[in-house]
Amino acid sequence: MLVFMEPLINGILLGGLFAVIGIGLSMIFGIMKQVNLAHGEVMIIGSYLGLVFMRLLGIPPLVCLIFVIPCLFVIGFLLQSYLFNRVLGKGMEPYLMVSFGLSIILQNTLLKVFTPDARSLDSSLTIRTLDVFGLLHLPVIYLIGFAGGLVVIALLHLFMKRTYLGWAIRASGDDLGTSKLMGINTSRVYALAMGIAAVTSAVAGILVGMTFTFYPHSGTQYLITAFGVVIIGGTGSLMGTFLGGLILGVAQLLGGRLLGPGFQLLAGYLILLVVLTIRPQGLFGRR
Amino acid sequence: MLKIQGLDVFYGMFQALSNISVEVEKGEIVSILGANGAGKSTLLKTISGLMAPKSGSIYFDGERIDRLEPDEIVNRGISLVPEGRRIFESLSVAENLLIGSYTGRARQRCGETLESIFHLFPRLKERRATMGTSLSGGEQQMLAIGRALMSRPRLIIFDEISLGLSPIVIKVLYEAVTRINRDGVTVILVEQDVTRSLATASQAYILQEGKVSLEGHPKDLSEEEVRRAYFGDHV
Repeated sequence: MLVFMEPLINGILLGGLFAVIGIGLSMIFGIMKQVNLAHGEVMIIGSYLGLVFMRLLGIPPLVCLIFVIPCLFVIGFLLQSYLFNRVLGKGMEPYLMVSFGLSIILQNTLLKVFTPDARSLDSSLTIRTLDVFGLLHLPVIYLIGFAGGLVVIALLHLFMKRTYLGWAIRASGDDLGTSKLMGINTSRVYALAMGIAAVTSAVAGILVGMTFTFYPHSGTQYLITAFGVVIIGGTGSLMGTFLGGLILGVAQLLGGRLLGPGFQLLAGYLILLVVLTIRPQGLFGRR
Repeated sequence: MLKIQGLDVFYGMFQALSNISVEVEKGEIVSILGANGAGKSTLLKTISGLMAPKSGSIYFDGERIDRLEPDEIVNRGISLVPEGRRIFESLSVAENLLIGSYTGRARQRCGETLESIFHLFPRLKERRATMGTSLSGGEQQMLAIGRALMSRPRLIIFDEISLGLSPIVIKVLYEAVTRINRDGVTVILVEQDVTRSLATASQAYILQEGKVSLEGHPKDLSEEEVRRAYFGDHV
């Protein structure tokens, strides 16, 4: 039994991090009904910016968030204002093409600037493990990732429920024309929403950088993780995204333990396929 | 207060409105009537900035508004209660109301406005925590009206306020319209329900195939004239 306890708990913890990776993608899909294929690259930019601030200022990775969050907010805001808003209302294809093109440009820019070397955001927390009564070994960094996921989801929930901008974001997702009649400047709301999605990516980028090594092309891999989270959890609810992350995390680690470490990713995608087959709108999705 | 002059609006090649001129005085209730496809909805979309006219102009309090974005028009004091109510499905009753006060001018006084709307429609206060779309049709119409009032408009436009509702509910809604008007808000009623709308209004315009076919004080219009203006000569 205990053999499965550890991957189960670690899977849940890792799932919290997966949820943060997926939440931005889910948010943008929920509001604009568009898929941002550059989601992973934006997140990896967050990881690299963390690296830059660590080197420049000699501060630990989590403290870098103070600088990386505003940077990514601005990046997200500008991308939506000057790029994505131009192709809205023209169906899904133009948005997919633009975001796909953007992801290639960003990957190659990162490659040029940072070289293809493997990087990580090292800190004293990265290698520490928590020993639970000598029975379980939990990497501290997984605990931090899980806590990060909870905090991001909770703050986002409060923001969506309590602020004018949160209501405006949800209203624009429901009915664009009527939101305009409320006096909502929807292009601006979209830009701010993308800024906020990028802020969640900043947190994800730092946490991923602390947990794993990353390369200029890592974004694609995390885009797929994000897709997994969103497909399992369903779009439209923050809770769904969070649970989607947990399920993917558990599936990967339990699958890895059962089938062997090489099958970790496969186990995650099998769950994905099962969900797509029996409940295509996601486990907690509407419609 | 609102002055529309020589408005031409197109959907691509199709001309939906031709040479429409409408004038609304402060404090009035103006009725705009017309059958399906007469151009009423197009006219409202143009007034609220969702569509741009090809030619002609719209002035509100002496300022030209026909090239402004919808949010600027709301901020200047024109609010629309859309046909079909269009309640935001992921927002609660209270949130649906509060989103109506999104513009800067209205937001500062949202608490006060909210109280006056709960006074006008006590039912909304009782159900403020439930989801907007869980309300009945009549309650949803009240919510849509309340939401439009939250922007503290000086001109409020009702698009098909009575569509699909029971006579009792319609009576309540029309009483509310009269009260809103008495509180100093100018009203435009866009309706297919000719009798009730004419009974409430002080000025009427009838549209037919994108043109104004008849205008005047409701009492001065004969039934025959109205019928012909509404349906055309071939009836």
